[in-house]
Amino acid sequence: MVRPAKFEIKELVNGESATLVIVGELDMRTAEHLSECLAEQRAKGVTDVTVDLAKLSFMDSSGLKALIDLHDRSRAEAWKLKMVAPEYEAAALVLRATGADKALPFAETSSP
Amino acid sequence: MAAQPTELILDRAHNAVISMDQRGRVTYWNPAAETVFGVSREQAVGRKVAELIVPERLRETHTSGIRRLVAGGAGRLIDRRVEMPALRGDGSEFPVEMTISAWREGGESSFTAFLQDISERRAAASERERLVEELRLALRGTDRRLDAIVGSLSEPVTIRDHTDRIVYANRAALLHLGFQSVVELAQTPPERIMADYIVLGEDGGEISMQQIPSVRLLQGETPEPLLIRTIHRDSGAERWNLLKAAPVLDESGRLEATIMLIEDVTEQQREQQRSAFLAEASLVLASSLDYEQTLQNVAQLAVPEIADWCGVDLVDADGDRVPVAVAHVDPARLQLAAQLREYPLTEADVEHGLGRVLRVGESVLYPEIPEDMLLQAAVSDEHLALLRAVEMRSAAIVPIRLGKRILGAMTLVGAESGRVLDRADLELAEQIASRAAVAIENSRLYSERSTIARTLQKSLLPERLPEIAGYELAGAYLPAFEGTEVGGDFYDAWGVRGGWMMTIGDVTGKGFEAAALTSLVRHNLRAMSEFVSSPAELLARLDLVLKKQRRGSTCTAILLRLDEDGATLAMGGHPLPIRITSVGAEQVGDFGPMLGAFEGVAWRDTMVALPPGSILVMYTDGVTDAVGTDGERYGQFRLRDTLDACRDFTASKVVQRLNDALANFQVGGHADDTAILAIRHMPEADQSLHEGRGVRKATEALAGPA
Repeated sequence: MVRPAKFEIKELVNGESATLVIVGELDMRTAEHLSECLAEQRAKGVTDVTVDLAKLSFMDSSGLKALIDLHDRSRAEAWKLKMVAPEYEAAALVLRATGADKALPFAETSSP
Repeated sequence: MAAQPTELILDRAHNAVISMDQRGRVTYWNPAAETVFGVSREQAVGRKVAELIVPERLRETHTSGIRRLVAGGAGRLIDRRVEMPALRGDGSEFPVEMTISAWREGGESSFTAFLQDISERRAAASERERLVEELRLALRGTDRRLDAIVGSLSEPVTIRDHTDRIVYANRAALLHLGFQSVVELAQTPPERIMADYIVLGEDGGEISMQQIPSVRLLQGETPEPLLIRTIHRDSGAERWNLLKAAPVLDESGRLEATIMLIEDVTEQQREQQRSAFLAEASLVLASSLDYEQTLQNVAQLAVPEIADWCGVDLVDADGDRVPVAVAHVDPARLQLAAQLREYPLTEADVEHGLGRVLRVGESVLYPEIPEDMLLQAAVSDEHLALLRAVEMRSAAIVPIRLGKRILGAMTLVGAESGRVLDRADLELAEQIASRAAVAIENSRLYSERSTIARTLQKSLLPERLPEIAGYELAGAYLPAFEGTEVGGDFYDAWGVRGGWMMTIGDVTGKGFEAAALTSLVRHNLRAMSEFVSSPAELLARLDLVLKKQRRGSTCTAILLRLDEDGATLAMGGHPLPIRITSVGAEQVGDFGPMLGAFEGVAWRDTMVALPPGSILVMYTDGVTDAVGTDGERYGQFRLRDTLDACRDFTASKVVQRLNDALANFQVGGHADDTAILAIRHMPEADQSLHEGRGVRKATEALAGPA
């Protein structure tokens, strides 16, 4: 498996909806970038967010905590959040092991 | 040299104290050991313990015992007393009673043994047995011979008929029980006599009439001698008694009467407790730089053996008193004790008690605290009510002093147990205080924030894992390299009603917050497991506890219950454990949701087969997330391959192998904290060796089964 070497968040914005494509490893070093990125989008008036984890190659507990925080905030602040499941097993395993695959709002079609 | 202050204390111990390294050579030999063994320190240090004090026939077992302990020995081992023969310098043999501690420092094992010459006690015991035998014979003959034999015996002897009525008591027994004549004693029901005392067993639990050896004899049982601690309800006097009962049978073999011997072992018992406390406290004080935690640990050690409560106060830069630690025998009263200690010292106080000790730096002992002393000390009605509520009866206050500088004071209090503190307790407290002074000073020199967080996290790990008959437990905590913030990995194992509970987990977050949350998780699990046996139910309750904490307080954990039905597993969002059997390594269990994170989720109990010889390995994600030279993570597959090669290993060897594999794989130190916990069901053939918990292991370590 070729690992995406660098961590990167691609932002695709279309009016009030935004897709954040996360590439690489979401861990204690990179997790806060996700929160910052989300805060910027919300400030611009985005109310419909999709977090695409398909190209997420690895995630540790800090990464998972960032995802759970997003979910909690979407409910507290009443904006829409969807997630796309990771294709890489290392990242998918963390979601399965913690029950996050069922508890977080993954799109039905590509549930891990 | 860190060990020096500990040795200064041990130099003054009444018991012989010997330390040895993992090659079995003497590294320390105290003056009492010189007396007991007739060998000087200069002659002893550097020589093999086996050649010095172990009788020749036991040397091989001793040596292989050490080897076993070194191979499997993480943490401290035992606190049980064992009796065995030992050699004097002149080659003569004599019986000793021994307690061993083992610990690891810098990858090396060290052992310290406390020994007491018990030849006199043994001789007295066989003399008593002879007397009991004569008594039996005398009872069958005429009663007249009876008093001649036991009347002048200094130990209390009572004889009861088959209805448990006292028919004879010697003078010592009358004195002991507080009666004038046998007639008066015989007319008093045993329950009434017992009601004057609080009667506790060795483990601190209350002893009922049904457990008294003579009563058990009457019920057709064969009772072991029973060690009891009695506290007279009025006077508060505390004694330790060993009760031994023997049957008197008539010609047809029916039970005719019971003879009970009450042996006063108070002094031996106290000496033993003091030695154990001294040893434990010395280790605790040398173990950490976090002095508040350390002082709390020391206070905790003092109860209930030495005192009912123990407090430590320090003096800050302005000379004001700062309460830093308090431990109470009864957790419900801890609050009272803590509340009481919040009262500032009044001017009058400076002349008395704690105030005086902090000012003058001299110890003070109050064997008894009469009511008018409380009246004098009270600053308000509320304060007086508190003073009364804690039932202070006796107190010893010693300064914690470094040269002329007074750093603080340690207070020991005898309260509801009625324990009266004496000179020996005061001396003991002084020794601990002098060691505490050094520990405080050291930690003040090194009180860097990250060091303390790290120490705190480590202090949350069990000091040692329990010994479970038929199983072997091994755990490891591999801290991330210096400079990174400490994580929230933890593991623990403890006894519960009907079995054992084990956990490993990972609390989200870093630093102090993670340490605080880890502490919350561990304490809640331990507390709730007192009344909840299902691991899944425990996880559900922990989930609720975490949801009440600040947002983002989440945690992953495995809970494993081990009892006579086998192993029950519940998973809380944690990587699955791996079971190693003769056919290889495989994951077991089913994933369950993370704790404190999600709404509307549930946990399930799963039975996991752990056949003899199999090992269950639990780990935190620091293992699989470890990064290698090429940027690859260690991952599931490497982990399984490593464990697959560990069939027939001991649990500690598996942990060691995994640790080595990780060290070889990753660049530099651990990037993240990592915890590993392994449990092995001993193969049938080895199980007999490990029965009797650590006692047997300990015995083998120095001399082999006597």
